[in-house]
Amino acid sequence: MEEWKPNPAVKPHKKRSWYLAWKYKLMNQRALRKLCQTGAVLFLLVTVIVNIKLILDTRRAAYEEEEESAQDYDDEMLNVEVPRHPVNNKKVLDVEVYSSRSKVYVAVDGTTVLEDEAREQGRGIHVIVLNQATGHVMAKRVFDTYSPHEDEAMVLFLNMVARGRILIFTIKDEGSFHLKETAKNVLKSLGSQVAPFLSWRDMWTFVGKKGGEVYGEKHAKSPALSTWGDPVLLKTEVHLTSVEDAECHWPDTELNRRRKRFCSKVEGYGSVCSCKDPTPIEFNPDPLKDNKVFDVPVAVIAGNRPNYLYRMLRSLLSAQGVNPQMITVFIDGYYEEPMDVVELFGLSGIQHTPISIKNARVSQHYKASLTATFNLFPDAKFAVVLEEDLDISVDFFSFLSQSIHLLEEDESLYCISAWNDQGYEHTAEDPSLLYRVETMPGLGWVLRKSLYKDELEPKWPTPEKLWDWDMWMRMPEQRKGRECIIPDISRSYHFGIVGLNMNGYFHEAYFKKHKFNTVPNVQLKNVESLRKDNYETEIHRLLGEAEVLDHSKNPCEDSFVPDTEGRVYVMFIRMEQEADFTTWTQLAKCLHIWDLDVRGNHKGLWRLFRKKNHFLVVGVPASPYSSKKPSSVTPVFMEPPAKEEGAVAVPAVAAAEQT
Amino acid sequence: QNGAAFSKVRGSQSGQDSTRWHVVRKFLGLISTHNIPVYLIDPLILGLVDKDIEQIRSSPDGLSPECKYFCAPRDFTTFALLEKTWKHEVGLFRTAEKMGFQWLKIINKDPRLDGMDDLSGMEIPLHYIFKLASHAIHLVVFYERSGNFLWHGPLRLKQHMDRKFVPFRKLHFGRYPGAYEKPELLLVSIDDLKVQIPKNPSSFLEEVSHSRFLECRYREARAFFQLYSDDASLDAVEFRKKAKSLLHLAALTLNNLGVKFWLSSGTCLGWYRQCNIIPYSKDVDLGIFIRDYKADIIPAFQKAGLPLKHKFGKVEDSLELSFQGEDDVKLDIFFFYEEDDHIWNGGTQAKSGKKFKYLFPKFSLCWTEFVELKVHVPCETLQYVEANYGPEWKVPVKTWDWKSSPFNVQDNGVWPIDEWDNVIQIY
Repeated sequence: MEEWKPNPAVKPHKKRSWYLAWKYKLMNQRALRKLCQTGAVLFLLVTVIVNIKLILDTRRAAYEEEEESAQDYDDEMLNVEVPRHPVNNKKVLDVEVYSSRSKVYVAVDGTTVLEDEAREQGRGIHVIVLNQATGHVMAKRVFDTYSPHEDEAMVLFLNMVARGRILIFTIKDEGSFHLKETAKNVLKSLGSQVAPFLSWRDMWTFVGKKGGEVYGEKHAKSPALSTWGDPVLLKTEVHLTSVEDAECHWPDTELNRRRKRFCSKVEGYGSVCSCKDPTPIEFNPDPLKDNKVFDVPVAVIAGNRPNYLYRMLRSLLSAQGVNPQMITVFIDGYYEEPMDVVELFGLSGIQHTPISIKNARVSQHYKASLTATFNLFPDAKFAVVLEEDLDISVDFFSFLSQSIHLLEEDESLYCISAWNDQGYEHTAEDPSLLYRVETMPGLGWVLRKSLYKDELEPKWPTPEKLWDWDMWMRMPEQRKGRECIIPDISRSYHFGIVGLNMNGYFHEAYFKKHKFNTVPNVQLKNVESLRKDNYETEIHRLLGEAEVLDHSKNPCEDSFVPDTEGRVYVMFIRMEQEADFTTWTQLAKCLHIWDLDVRGNHKGLWRLFRKKNHFLVVGVPASPYSSKKPSSVTPVFMEPPAKEEGAVAVPAVAAAEQT
Repeated sequence: QNGAAFSKVRGSQSGQDSTRWHVVRKFLGLISTHNIPVYLIDPLILGLVDKDIEQIRSSPDGLSPECKYFCAPRDFTTFALLEKTWKHEVGLFRTAEKMGFQWLKIINKDPRLDGMDDLSGMEIPLHYIFKLASHAIHLVVFYERSGNFLWHGPLRLKQHMDRKFVPFRKLHFGRYPGAYEKPELLLVSIDDLKVQIPKNPSSFLEEVSHSRFLECRYREARAFFQLYSDDASLDAVEFRKKAKSLLHLAALTLNNLGVKFWLSSGTCLGWYRQCNIIPYSKDVDLGIFIRDYKADIIPAFQKAGLPLKHKFGKVEDSLELSFQGEDDVKLDIFFFYEEDDHIWNGGTQAKSGKKFKYLFPKFSLCWTEFVELKVHVPCETLQYVEANYGPEWKVPVKTWDWKSSPFNVQDNGVWPIDEWDNVIQIY
């Protein structure tokens, strides 16, 4: 405890003696009658006065709360401390674990710590980690091991749990279909006898100590494919150890105190809590020379994905030129664990009571976070906006430091973004290259305060409009023809697969192969050429230099582009008017880049790399650059394959959404 | 026990207290080992310093022959800390304890998040008190707020806190929250101690006396919007944007002239009731005491691109100026006349020459933050608003007649015809 708390002063009681004296006087019989009379009158008078005063007081108090409290320096809010649970000296915990088709629950000493009977939800293996000394829940996870790869996630998680912790497992509905050998072996190594033989629709509960004894296991086999095993209820006792035994003995430093606080509360963060050689929580990356974004606030928008947040903050705090004091993490909801992560890193966090649902809620959370950011840093002209499921490149701040003056000076710019929608492993090449694009990629970007305060904030979609904030920002009414600056190779990496609009398949298809810069201190090339007019000169120069590809070949084939390196090639596609993206979309599809909506265009021009050559695509005749097309060349036209397409397409919910 | 390092103090002249000097020196030592930039804001000391300011400025390293400033026996010495320049490190307090200081931290909600729906951040430190022997250092934490100013919070003790830790009532800061300009600082040596002080102590002291800050009533504003949902139409957004920039321009112009003004009428009601500009109000209203009137006001606004639309009344009576802002948004400036028991401003009907009078109870001025601006409002805002709009001020009224709607309007005769050319000027 760092706070110095004085003992509360004891107040003397004076009232009592006065009351007694009065009572003795009353005993005096002679004066009694008279006294009664005067007393009655007095009482009446006092009542009236007291009542009037009360009315006045309440009125005044209602209006002048401030004034009143200012009088005597007392806090107007009685900050009554909630009485803490008495220290539990009991050495034994009663644990109840229930597993069935439609419901699971876990109770520790009569307190339900898990209860899930929601329909169509929570299928798979539920895992709870308890602190072996206090019995507190340190982690709660569910792995849908009916589905592929979830068992790998479970193994990863279990490996990260410290030795000695109490582990509780229970299956809801089905947990064996994709529970592979490796996972079964891990469960077996924890002492489970049943795990290796778990099969279709079996019910199962297990309680054990990691690296130690087994407290109980129950299992009910499913009699037939079409039915579930009978519900099982395991009741057992767990013996608690001393707090000393449950903690690591790190040297007593400020950092380790934060670590200790964190590690005694939550589990599943691996080496940050290992007793021997824990991973650092302070990174001290090299400062940037002439850092133009040192004083730019960084808003990290988070939900309840603390493990993501942990990974994200690690990469952010490791980026050169980071200024931790400017970082604020905005958590959408009153979630404890994300806040624990924020505190582990010594950052400041703000929680936001949810007000709306789904997309609109994210949108309102964004608004509140952005407004708060500019309130907290009133001097700031910009804010960096990040999300909890991003890795941040080591040269993220260096990239911004070199480009931010453009956002300040060039009014035709909407944002600077660290993300190139089309920057995949096979289509991005040059870490020093920047583009101007008409789309707003998000995923790590810089927002100008004036844009927010003067334009966006006043008309931000209200909660009842179920709009995505980023879709809204991309609408022409907001963007007003302005462009964003993006790097060829992204400075952020989108690793999240559990999100509102995310699923594993979608992530694999559109994000996994995204290129991410890992080179420190990249010197950006010719930044001035990104200004509005300069950029046109630059594009004309490029197109002038570019070799026209053989349009008779199939643009989807690798052979479309010669086996060269470092050359500039151009191809022309059909684009009847500004909004005609028929051919582009098909081309994007066969090139395996972002095709769910149109991204990365600048006046009907797309720039990417193919086989290490700069590859330009011009939409004819809509693009002003069409004039560069030799008259002999017929623009490529590609049509979407007929009908069946719809069935194979990515789920509609994922369409065009990256957040 | 500290040994008297200050040579003259050893003589222990009457009324001098070396304890204070020693405690301040220790505190400054503590602060400098942790690289925390503090500056002296103690009104009593700054008052003394101000008298000798020329001499102090000219000899930054000068040794003083006697202890003039830090030896007057007082319970407190007050310093300020800019939160922005401080990395909240815990080490400071451990060192302080080792040096023998007892310390008290007063934290509370962050008002910069108050306006927001349901954001809850960590509580922020507002005041620190470091006590050693019979003297205490009061360290006031200043935060930057939107509107380019510094803010400090009120000092409120929580239940478990020791009310007798120091005589809180004697503190110079903390009775109310306060708003200040960002000061320019000067490193000086006084009484052989190197401290930073505001470069211009007298103007700082002037600020101290008028620093009281009122937070907008965000909770009530939210309740208001629950009852009457906010107008989010494009027109409303546009009007608010224009009104905000007009208010910014007006504030800049008047501040440059050194003319004190406050939010009046509808603009004041908007602040008090909904913490925002009322979208259908169609103008921006400011009040100025007639004693602060300057002839340069009109040319200054014209220079700022706001032509005079009309001028009613005269300096001696019922003066009112109206400037034309961008697209129909008008800036109305009412001049207020102080009487023994009330304050009033006047109105004039152009076509009839009729005069009106609007009466207000007396009020003082407080700072507040409004649309990213530090501006004055009447401290007794409720009385002001109630006088103007009556007890039903909480209910939005969209049809408004300035001659009959205000609760406090009175007929005030008619301008004599021969004065009309002077007192009714329309452009």
